[in-house]
Amino acid sequence: MPGKRRALFLVLAAGLFLAIAGAAGLALTRQPVAANYGAAPTLPAPTGPIAAAPQQRSAQVSLPVTLTIPSIGVQTSLIHLGLTADGTLQVPPSTAVAGWYTGSPRPGAIGSAVIAGHIDSRVGPGVFFRLSSLRPGDLVYVRRADGTLAVFRVTVVRQFAKDSFPTSAVYGPTPDPEVRLITCGGIFDSQLRSYLSNTVVYAVETS
Amino acid sequence: MKNMRFIRWAAFLMGAAALLFGIATAASASTTSSSTGWVRLAHLSPNTPAVDVYLYSFGDPSAELVLHHVSYGVVSPYESLAAGQYTVAMRAAGAAATTKPVLSASLTVAPGGAYTVAGLGPESGLRLEVLQDRLSAPAGQAEVRFIQASLQQHEVTVTWDGKPTVSNLAFGSVSSYQAVSPATATLHVAGASESANSTITLTAGTVHTVVVLDGSKGLVLDNLLDAAGSDAMPAGAAATGFGGSAPKVPSPLPWMYLIGTGTLLAMVGGVGVRLVPRQRGRHAR
Repeated sequence: MPGKRRALFLVLAAGLFLAIAGAAGLALTRQPVAANYGAAPTLPAPTGPIAAAPQQRSAQVSLPVTLTIPSIGVQTSLIHLGLTADGTLQVPPSTAVAGWYTGSPRPGAIGSAVIAGHIDSRVGPGVFFRLSSLRPGDLVYVRRADGTLAVFRVTVVRQFAKDSFPTSAVYGPTPDPEVRLITCGGIFDSQLRSYLSNTVVYAVETS
Repeated sequence: MKNMRFIRWAAFLMGAAALLFGIATAASASTTSSSTGWVRLAHLSPNTPAVDVYLYSFGDPSAELVLHHVSYGVVSPYESLAAGQYTVAMRAAGAAATTKPVLSASLTVAPGGAYTVAGLGPESGLRLEVLQDRLSAPAGQAEVRFIQASLQQHEVTVTWDGKPTVSNLAFGSVSSYQAVSPATATLHVAGASESANSTITLTAGTVHTVVVLDGSKGLVLDNLLDAAGSDAMPAGAAATGFGGSAPKVPSPLPWMYLIGTGTLLAMVGGVGVRLVPRQRGRHAR
């Protein structure tokens, strides 16, 4: 009989131990593991002939070739993007390059040129991983096929929920040369395998 | 004693559940679009000498923008400005910034609004007019308007692509915007004694202002691009990430099972200890 009672005490103790261990484990793993990929590398500003001030008289601007954002270490060629069958913006097939939407004005021409890049792949950072850390005043360089540079100054960095994306505020017309840099951001929904927001950087051409 | 423990466990589990729910529903911040507008300045008075144009933010005596020696026919690029009240002042070219302006006008820049502040009319009746500029055209169309800045011709008539577009536009006046089918075609502007032709391209989604000017050899047409957008606006958001750098939130289920099993075992043990009578004798020793 005393053996049985002792055994029951042991069961009680083991149960309490398991429950406390479970609670501790839950508490410890509840914090998401912060992604840490080191500090942002920086690049020197590209050099070359800087294109003339914004053109109002519809002079043809040469096609964009590369994008450099020194403050967040971005240097990438620009591929051409179209629209998908459902009318959304096509995204680059590789997470290592950014792309210019060919339906939007060319960077440096009047209007907002749309450039999209991935924040990450399934395994690590993509070309626009640090886009959200850009700040107003940071410079964005686009080199064109004719060798000229268009220089843009970041004015605003915004995050928009994808389900209430302000299409015209991002892709809409403007009277001056601007660029919109777009990537994903916010919370990653692992069920949908998709981020719930887009990070959008607004930049205007410096004159 | 045991009841107290159960209450505490229940409270803990409820707290944990609330925390998990909170993490899942934490919404990302979303704000509205930018609060800037655009202004450009134009000198469109044929017999007025060059001017210096100053743009002041309302209540700030130092100019936000100064354009020196702006002569007839010059239209500046758009300047991006924070929404708010502004004053535009014109002084004779080279006049000190402290002198009284020849003309001034105030304007309210609305978020997303674009404006042309133009000096219009003859020198004797020079006025500063704030024009509201359009940014977008109806789907598949282009928009165009005309400013008649020729003193030599009292009125002009505009024909675009063979179709009469504006008739009897008087000197110093501005037509309203009108939607036209996109094309590369001939723009014909005719006054009483002079006319001008220009081949221009109006693409879908663009907005233009064509200024009719006096040139050294008759009328001159200046085709300004007021705004341009995308040929087709992408629908909604962009799928630009696969989650590889997203913070991982591990599944809480294994820990929940552990807590459940432990609680069950503790209950069984606790109830059992209660049911089995305590041994009082010493014979167990």
